Amino acid sequence: MSSFVYHAERPLLSDERSGLTRRGLLGATALGLVAGAPAMARAAGPQGQLTWGIHVSLAPSWFDPAETQGIITPYMVLYALHDAMVKSMPGNPQAPCLAESWSTSSDHLTHEFVLRPGVKFHDGEPVTADDVKFSFERYHGVSHELIKQQVAAIEVPDPRRVRFKLKQPWPDFLTFYSSATGAGWVVPKKYIERVGEEGYRKAPIGAGPYKFVSFTPGVELVLEAFEGYWRKVPNVKRLVMKVVPDEGTRAAALKRGEIDIAYSIRGELAEDLQRTAGISLKPVVLQAPNWLYFPEQWDPKSPWHDLRVRQAANLAIDREGMSKALFLGHCKVTNSIIPYTFEYFWQPSTAGYDPGSARKRMAEAGFAKGFDAGLLYCDASYANMAEVSVNNLAEIGIRARLQPIERAGFFAGYSSKKYTRGIIQGASGAFGNAATRLAAFVVKGGSFAYGSYPDIDELYPKQADELDRGKRGAMLEKMQQLVHDKAIYAPIWQLGFINAVGPRVGESGFDLITGFAYTAPFEDITIKA
Amino acid sequence: MKQYIIRRSSYSLLSLFLLSLTIFFFVRVTGDPATLLVEPGASAADIAAIHQRFGLDKPLWTQYGLFVWSLFQGDLGQSFYYQTPVFELYLDRLPNSLLLAFVAMSLSLLIGIPAGIMASVQVGRFWDGFGKLFTLLGQSLPSFLVGLVLILVFSVYLGWLPSSGAGTPLHLIMPAFALGWYFAASHMRLTRSSMLEVLGSEYIKLARLKGLPQSMIIAKHAFKNALIPVLTLAGINVVVMVNVAVVVETVFAWPGIGRLLYEGITFRDFPIVQGVVIMGGGMIVIVNLVIDILYAIIDPRIRLES
Repeated sequence: MSSFVYHAERPLLSDERSGLTRRGLLGATALGLVAGAPAMARAAGPQGQLTWGIHVSLAPSWFDPAETQGIITPYMVLYALHDAMVKSMPGNPQAPCLAESWSTSSDHLTHEFVLRPGVKFHDGEPVTADDVKFSFERYHGVSHELIKQQVAAIEVPDPRRVRFKLKQPWPDFLTFYSSATGAGWVVPKKYIERVGEEGYRKAPIGAGPYKFVSFTPGVELVLEAFEGYWRKVPNVKRLVMKVVPDEGTRAAALKRGEIDIAYSIRGELAEDLQRTAGISLKPVVLQAPNWLYFPEQWDPKSPWHDLRVRQAANLAIDREGMSKALFLGHCKVTNSIIPYTFEYFWQPSTAGYDPGSARKRMAEAGFAKGFDAGLLYCDASYANMAEVSVNNLAEIGIRARLQPIERAGFFAGYSSKKYTRGIIQGASGAFGNAATRLAAFVVKGGSFAYGSYPDIDELYPKQADELDRGKRGAMLEKMQQLVHDKAIYAPIWQLGFINAVGPRVGESGFDLITGFAYTAPFEDITIKA
Repeated sequence: MKQYIIRRSSYSLLSLFLLSLTIFFFVRVTGDPATLLVEPGASAADIAAIHQRFGLDKPLWTQYGLFVWSLFQGDLGQSFYYQTPVFELYLDRLPNSLLLAFVAMSLSLLIGIPAGIMASVQVGRFWDGFGKLFTLLGQSLPSFLVGLVLILVFSVYLGWLPSSGAGTPLHLIMPAFALGWYFAASHMRLTRSSMLEVLGSEYIKLARLKGLPQSMIIAKHAFKNALIPVLTLAGINVVVMVNVAVVVETVFAWPGIGRLLYEGITFRDFPIVQGVVIMGGGMIVIVNLVIDILYAIIDPRIRLES
């Protein structure tokens, strides 16, 4: 009676996982070292060490999926230590991992997952449906109330099967279970019950491709390959994640070969590394769009009330030029406030840079001489972007003054709807899908919506109740189209996060998972022979 | 004497109380830590859950009361970020900071004292001018710049020293120099002025009249007396070095207390900032109290006057 069933591809057999089948082994022997070298290297098991230069201090809460906050950073560790039932993987934002298949009942009230056979935790214990249930119930990270409120019961009919019964149909269950929360990441029930929460934080065990070896707060995290990982045996034996907070020091350490992978290198340092032999940049487009927002557009007395003024502002921003100047051209201009990787994303027309047309629209709106737009509020760490926007807007007569505010203060002011006049340069990296993003930033009552439009508001509850994916997608696309047509925002881009790798790294793992800032999957990372 | 010690101890306790009050409220002026633990755009419910988890939903005075109560029990609180007792984190980092401070202080004394002596005996001449320039640079160049230039020269271009981290004596050289140079400047200045004062005293004039060689006057008679204020300053500076080498430890990724404080500030981890400041302040207050008491023991006029 399933309305939707997902089956994983056949899992690899143990011989295939090690890179050699029986026939392959014979072939390799016959062909000798020349043909067999790569295969033999894999057959020898994980080897060597790679060292990361991490830009932030690693927090122990990142070793435990139950603690997952709504930020991307913990996933840099979670992808190594743990595994999820369903998670983003190369080419598939909802890839079957510990779950080999799942199904949804026709009334959308039951989601049943079947565990992959033979999957083990690092201590050799099998991953069971009890662990899945325990992990869900133990989860207390971002949106835990939201997801738990939807679930009426979790049933475990057998050790490989887990069934989530919802109180009412919720089309976003899988989005939240697989990516918007850490509730679908599985931890070992028996082990945690034995060592306690504190013990688990100090010596975490997971079902991921790498085992925990040691952690020195503020210094480094050391991991070692778990050869029993179901997907494949990791190539690299040992991973060392060293905390190097200063960007210049990270770049120097990479040049010296002290580290192999450096996260977050910007501007001139990135340019310098680009010129260095053996080092290559690995930019990743984050699922965190930046934009300009016009909170006065609902005030009939404000120039921003006129659609043509907002369209003019959209045409005045030189997004590509800004990207080249500030991020070596690695940002992605999508012309939307919804990340292009999100489910139900709708791609608007290309963002144009046309100051001539912008001036014309300003004149049509009666602002040929421009107007004083007041302050442009922004998070101080992205003031360089806002500065370019201020200059771009000034070229068409919109005179704004930059008001950088320290990050926490800025977002507190933004969400408490303090910046009712002027312009806001905003951003969001929150997880979810197009519906969750529209709820926060566009729809009436949204945490960051300073006003709304009835036609968009009307569609929101309808899409939330719609269980047919196609019909729901159409409504969400319509909503995004309206956001675009009304020029509620002037989207800038999705930020290009620049990383760098040294000469020893073969496959770095950057950009294998679309929109993911860091290296993953770790089992795919290689060292050059 | 007993009354003097009680009075001084009361002042120390009052200082610590005021410090705890100041740091507790000042750190909260910087903003809400919950906003740094979620992505922009997170729901109000998620932020409220973080507030509840860390006790930030309670009234400020209640939070302060709990903080002081914990302090009396020797508990500096639990780090929001590391979810580890702050005292544990502090003790983990303390050996690294002590090591760095010890080496940096040794370097600064090795540079500052001879340079100060040279400058004092050659007033207005080359070594004096050179010493002044050296101190000016040491005190005016920002440590992050010194650090990055050292990394560029000795790690990237020459390849002699590791750029960051800890573990071997080689790792210590650059951060110790970057930290020590600043303090060498102050030690050099104090040595110079102290030496000049001593060299102008009557007993040195007498020694000169007796025909003692200049080297012996400096080494045997002037230097010992001139050294007392320098060593007093060095003692206090070690405490400062241990607790506030924020920039140097961050640039060189040195896992010390200064970097712990930097991490606390960056993540608005109130318990870490409060803990490090209280520990640092406590050390300074205790050192000052001990010095005051020792002065009073050595010189009875001090306790009588006060």
